Amino acid sequence: MAANIDQKTLAYINMYGVLGGLVALCDTVPEARKILGRSGCSVGFAVRGGPQATLTFVGGRCILKEGTEDAAIRIPFSSPEKFNGMIDGTVKPIPSKGFTKISFLLGKFQKLTDLLETYLRPTEEQLEDETFLRQSTTIMFRVIVSAVAQIANHDKVGQFSASNIVDGAIRMEIAGLAKAALIAKDHELTYSQKVPKNIMSYMQFADVKTARDLFDGKINSVAAVGDGLVRIGGMISQIDNVNRILSRVELYLR
Amino acid sequence: MAREVYTYPKSRELFNRAEKVIPSGVYGHLGPAEGCFIPIEAYPLFGDRAKGSYIWDADGHRFIDYMCAYGPNILGYNDPDVDEAARKQREKGDCMTSPSPVMIDFAELLVDTVASADWAFFAKNGNDVTTLAVMAARAYTHRKKIVFFKGYYHGISAWTQKIDYAGIIEEDVVNNLYLDWNDPDALDRVFDENKDEIAAVIAQPYMHGNFKDNELPAEGFWKKLRKLCTDNSTVLVVDDVRAGFRLDIAGSDHYFGFEADLICFCKALANGYNVSALCGKDFLKNTISSMSYTGSYWLSAVPFAAGIACIEKMKRLDCPRILIEKGEKLRRELIKKATDYGFDLHVSGIPSLFYLRIANDESLMLHQEWIAECVRRGIFFTNHHNHFVNASLTDEDIAETVAVAEEAFAIVQARHA
Repeated sequence: MAANIDQKTLAYINMYGVLGGLVALCDTVPEARKILGRSGCSVGFAVRGGPQATLTFVGGRCILKEGTEDAAIRIPFSSPEKFNGMIDGTVKPIPSKGFTKISFLLGKFQKLTDLLETYLRPTEEQLEDETFLRQSTTIMFRVIVSAVAQIANHDKVGQFSASNIVDGAIRMEIAGLAKAALIAKDHELTYSQKVPKNIMSYMQFADVKTARDLFDGKINSVAAVGDGLVRIGGMISQIDNVNRILSRVELYLR
Repeated sequence: MAREVYTYPKSRELFNRAEKVIPSGVYGHLGPAEGCFIPIEAYPLFGDRAKGSYIWDADGHRFIDYMCAYGPNILGYNDPDVDEAARKQREKGDCMTSPSPVMIDFAELLVDTVASADWAFFAKNGNDVTTLAVMAARAYTHRKKIVFFKGYYHGISAWTQKIDYAGIIEEDVVNNLYLDWNDPDALDRVFDENKDEIAAVIAQPYMHGNFKDNELPAEGFWKKLRKLCTDNSTVLVVDDVRAGFRLDIAGSDHYFGFEADLICFCKALANGYNVSALCGKDFLKNTISSMSYTGSYWLSAVPFAAGIACIEKMKRLDCPRILIEKGEKLRRELIKKATDYGFDLHVSGIPSLFYLRIANDESLMLHQEWIAECVRRGIFFTNHHNHFVNASLTDEDIAETVAVAEEAFAIVQARHA
């Protein structure tokens, strides 16, 4: 449970979890699709010693892919710390390619990231709106599950947990709202929006409120198993170790 | 006629009360999360009473109990001989300013019973004595590192836990070295790479790990480990907390043909009375004497009296032999019924501590379904922990268990037809 935050791990979480949240935002929130309209563009983030990935916006959707070769706008970062600085607003991003598309970055992209922040850091009042609650919880769920994979693959303590995870798919689910899978292979985890038919284990949150309370630290997953609010099954050693990694997500995403 | 299928409204009511004032309602291995109660609705959450091989839950349902309180029940719950010895001692005194001489009687009995014991030190829980063993090994060798075998369980102190466990910091486990069980090359490697640095190797007598079949020591494994420890002046600790007295009354090291330097007992030591013991070789006695290690209730006399009665009765009954025979009978019949319904039931480990796994489905979901149907019909199995046989288990109990298991196999088979 060592509390050290590793900047490289944080960079991967910021890339695939937080910026990856734009994928979930566009899938979930009509306003995001309205911001995008019909125009398309792609933004690549190249972090030296860290992740390299491109967000492609097309047809109102957002796709996240590894690599920045095909990005219309490319933003390099000399270190994970600099990239993390962009995410927390202390570093201004300077593109190395795509100056003619800069208006997308300063316009629609900025609006989307602002909207994402609204859904990732909602106020109590916003959460009283049932639609907003469901959308925000869906996006958070995808960000968190994605972060689990990054912590498993890059964080020293997360890697220890992952070393005890056997191969196979783990279904993560909020009943009636959202699901995703973590695919374990050779003690590395991959986030998948599509859940394979054959899974090794599952962890299901009973409803939106349960998921929200877990995300907000209001309830504990072990206690929630006793209440039947969290259902687990299959290869429990996978779930046990994913749960240990989940407890580290808060460290990185607080 | 189909059996009654249990539901647990009273248990649920109690759990709802409990979680208001107790973290997670029921914590630890008796709780629904760590106990892998899948689904939660299949399991009782609170017990009311116990006798022999049976427990009755808060809703009044009777179960044939194959967990035996996770090991302590070895003669049968509320064994009359053990309880009478405890009662008599209680009338004389239990927790007193000076220890009762019954402590000496108990230590003498353990030294006479356990093959590798020259002395005995008493505490309360298994964790107390595994921790003492590791501390003693460090004190004796002036070394830091401890070798573990993956899949181990040696208690709940920080040194027994892992870096990703809540509340554990890197410094707690930095001297822990983890090896695969039954890998002789890894043994050679770890001693070569850590010359004069390994204080102790700690191991259960065989691998009781969860989620996979239990694994007995390979031919020559213990002999090799014993020799490496001797040659490298490393203390060999056997954690016999779980298996103790279910394999061999003289200790599980004796069963597997070697001698531990330190051996830890708890669970079955006093048939449910609260006592643990570290036994060891003479060369470590002075080290133990030098250590600051005690507890408020560690020298209480009632558990000592119970322990004496328990060991004497286990000897009279030839307890390990009869437990293994009962476990073997159950193993044979469960496998036969499983096969009849197309299930590949693995029953691993020593039969007195048998571990169950339906191997048709590697995710174990099928296994969890079957276990749940057994529990709902009054057979208390658990999903992913070894089970325990006790001496009061009768042939009728085994027959009832097999009948319920068959009904459960039929239900699961039909569900997946």
